[in-house]
Amino acid sequence: MDAPATPLLRTKLRAPAPRPGAVARPRLAARVAGDDAAALTLVSAPAGFGKTTLVADALAGRPGVAWLSLDPRDDDPATFWRYVVAALETVRPGAGDGARALLDSSRPSSEVLVASLLNALDAPGDEVVLVLDDYHTVASPEIHDAVGMLVERRPPGVRLVITTRADPPLPLAALRARGALAELRASDLRFTADEAAAYLTGTMGLALGAGDVAALGERTEGWIAALQLAALSMRGRDDPSAFVADFAGDDRFVLDYLAGEVLERQPDDVRGFLLRTSILARLTGPLCDAVTGGGGGAAMLARLERANLFLVPLDDRRRWYRYHHLFADVLQVRLLDELPGEVAALHRRAGAWAEAAGDLPEAIRHALAAGDAGRAAALVERAAPAMRRARREATLGRWIDALPAELLRTRPVLATALVGTRMATGRFDGVAALLDAVEQRLAGPPEALVADDEEELRLLPAQVAIFRAALALVAGEGAATLGHAARALELAGPADHLPRGSAAALAGLAHWAAGDLVPAHERYAEAIGHLERAGHVSDALGCSLALADIQTAQGRLGAALATLEAGLAMAAPHGAIRGVADMHTGIAEVLVARGDPAGAAGRLTAAEALGEHAGLPQHPYRSRVAAARLRELEGDHAAALALLEEAGRRFDTDFSPVVRPVPAIAARVRLRAGDLAGAARWARERGLGTDEEPADATEYERVTLARLLVRRGDEGALPLVARLLAAAERGGREGTVVELLALRALAELAGGDERAARASLEEALVRAEPEGWARPILDAGPGVADILRAIAAAGRAREPARRVLAALTAEDRRPPAAAGPAEGLSEREREVLRLLGSDLSGPDIARELVVSLNTLRTHTKHIYAKLGVTSRRAAVRRAAELDL
Amino acid sequence: MAAADHRPHYEIRVAGRLPDRWAAWFDGLSVSAEADGTTAIRGPVADQAALHGLLDRVRDLGLPLVALTPIPDPRRTPR
Repeated sequence: MDAPATPLLRTKLRAPAPRPGAVARPRLAARVAGDDAAALTLVSAPAGFGKTTLVADALAGRPGVAWLSLDPRDDDPATFWRYVVAALETVRPGAGDGARALLDSSRPSSEVLVASLLNALDAPGDEVVLVLDDYHTVASPEIHDAVGMLVERRPPGVRLVITTRADPPLPLAALRARGALAELRASDLRFTADEAAAYLTGTMGLALGAGDVAALGERTEGWIAALQLAALSMRGRDDPSAFVADFAGDDRFVLDYLAGEVLERQPDDVRGFLLRTSILARLTGPLCDAVTGGGGGAAMLARLERANLFLVPLDDRRRWYRYHHLFADVLQVRLLDELPGEVAALHRRAGAWAEAAGDLPEAIRHALAAGDAGRAAALVERAAPAMRRARREATLGRWIDALPAELLRTRPVLATALVGTRMATGRFDGVAALLDAVEQRLAGPPEALVADDEEELRLLPAQVAIFRAALALVAGEGAATLGHAARALELAGPADHLPRGSAAALAGLAHWAAGDLVPAHERYAEAIGHLERAGHVSDALGCSLALADIQTAQGRLGAALATLEAGLAMAAPHGAIRGVADMHTGIAEVLVARGDPAGAAGRLTAAEALGEHAGLPQHPYRSRVAAARLRELEGDHAAALALLEEAGRRFDTDFSPVVRPVPAIAARVRLRAGDLAGAARWARERGLGTDEEPADATEYERVTLARLLVRRGDEGALPLVARLLAAAERGGREGTVVELLALRALAELAGGDERAARASLEEALVRAEPEGWARPILDAGPGVADILRAIAAAGRAREPARRVLAALTAEDRRPPAAAGPAEGLSEREREVLRLLGSDLSGPDIARELVVSLNTLRTHTKHIYAKLGVTSRRAAVRRAAELDL
Repeated sequence: MAAADHRPHYEIRVAGRLPDRWAAWFDGLSVSAEADGTTAIRGPVADQAALHGLLDRVRDLGLPLVALTPIPDPRRTPR
């Protein structure tokens, strides 16, 4: 498992402890805690309205509360979901296993992540209340969409509470309309006159008259943070009424006025400490000492907490604190105003401390704030590999964007990191120009280059070539992909396993897309070895899947099985990492081809049990295709088609060539179900015909068309099969050869040449035997079983015929379904059909159409086949049924 | 920089009187308290993203936003 770039801060998962003596707000608390119908409780109000305190108090002591305090660093899907998972696990241990595995192994879409979380939460147990505190720090649309999905699809007993300073872009209106939204807004949260009185005279123990309390309430408009500041500045004053009078008579911004009053009353050391440490997102004693250059930071923090100076403890042991956000902002304004010359130095010291503590993101934030762009750039370079492993490219990209563009020119490692973040997020524009600039720099004097790590600089030329290969691949430029990949291999050292593996995989993909199976096989085999040694096991599994597909195309089912089993063995020490499910599903496909649907079903169950996170991007679609295949073999064509429909929606080959398009697979199911018209509709929409097929049609589509033509008894079937057979032989695609030989047998049988049919099928059997192929023969069409039985009784391929017959399913033994609507009828055939409905005899019809009797017989044979009938009467009846 | 500066200028008006020490907080824009009890934060803003960043700062302080207006560059259109 990759270590996240920064460890999770457990303190963010802890609800603030209730403050002693706080004003009780039972009416509001009931609205937060009690409304189980609300999918979402939204507490939306400006800073300082007591949102967090209210929610924490309302939910205190209640089981099932998953708390998450957000901050601007969490505005990256990868980080956000890691914290949500961790928060949920505080109340439902294990509920985040699937989601965490997804995050560890890939950059899952938020949709997949949320689906996984919802599945895990949809289990009997206590109610779960997920609190997202300070949600306004999130800006990423991807996060908003996914949180919206979480709210919409929540299982019973799961709800969300969000505190925010701005209404989030969630479907609030729809939730409101359904009564699924509970809202608390600024007008609800303001202290009422009674609450202000209770706070000032009760909690704070101030000796104030009713008039003073009313004046304060009016001047602050019930703004709780302002009332707190006012109370603080009145403590210990002889004449609080005079303060109230001054304050009420002043029109300065409440916060500025009051913070000034509070600060003025602090001793110099406290005041200086507050200003200088205001730049820190989180405070702890040693960090404060490093920043102020003094000592006693821990004691000072304890003192500030006792004095109620807006310090929020983040843990029970009082090690970490933060300032209340509003107070921190006012302090920073005073710092910038009073000690402008010190600010950069303060950030530098804070950054150095963070760096020493291993918190690179915080060190980068301070370096940027100090205006030390070069230093920030070096830190970004250092943080980049871990950020990439944690799939936090969004944050990485944001850092680089915050740096001056000149730095990219002297820092090729940084510029290449930017390319990586762009490509990872699918933004390819401008990437080629960035790579050009990097190469130009690399060709120049080395002393002009700056890098945090010389080793990264050494690997850069190969990395640039790999990015170029990937760009060419995305653009569909096969030759260019191969060229760049070859260059990357030249540039990488023998032990640079990651670049070697990446380059080999890209080359393998380009060869495969071009149909060159032999070199594709070689490159993928190399890629698997390098990627495994580089520790990128999931990527190695992706290559194993591709290699197994190539081996299957070559007819080598045994080799494909071995590749997939080796993938499982490679992954075994790592648990259910991404790609493991694909190995099982791949094995299922091989078992189906060998005529072992029961074994295949077991593998599919195993893949499903691993969970969605164990699958590569192509797994959602491939697993459905494999499941559809099993339904098809059971004779449940409707279920198979429904699964294929889903597969079409989840279709993603992850850049692999589309070998078997889902609509073609569906056309085969329709054929088996006897829906010839449906299959013909697919062929027409795809532009596939006997005369000419589109150049971009895959072999799988052409063979599907051949099946349709054979089933229809079309004259074009044999020539098409012959063409495809020659091409498959040339390309070494033995699996297709077997299938086409079986198809040829059926076409020959339909033509009345029984002897040729038998010879063709015998050849198919002989060639299928070494690798155990069964299904391509059985799937050729109804009628193949009869020939098989004849061969099994007496023939040169007796044994193989018996083996394939043993794989017959109950469904195979059922008589072929009646052909469906005969959309495949030609104009001429329709004319013949109309005349067949008349009283005219055969010779009369031939005369009427001005054709020979033989030609008429051919036409009627085709019509019968297409309609699935055997007599003139049945044909006429069927034509009437079908309204032809 | 100044000669090539074509950044649009904006005025963000908030309720309450802000002392001018807040200028640094608002990226160096001018902060001037007006007689009507509001404060005008004025100056050049790089782009929409920067403008939203400024509005976030207004929001984060709980300052009531009164108006947002694009204004002419005072150095280019003498008034």
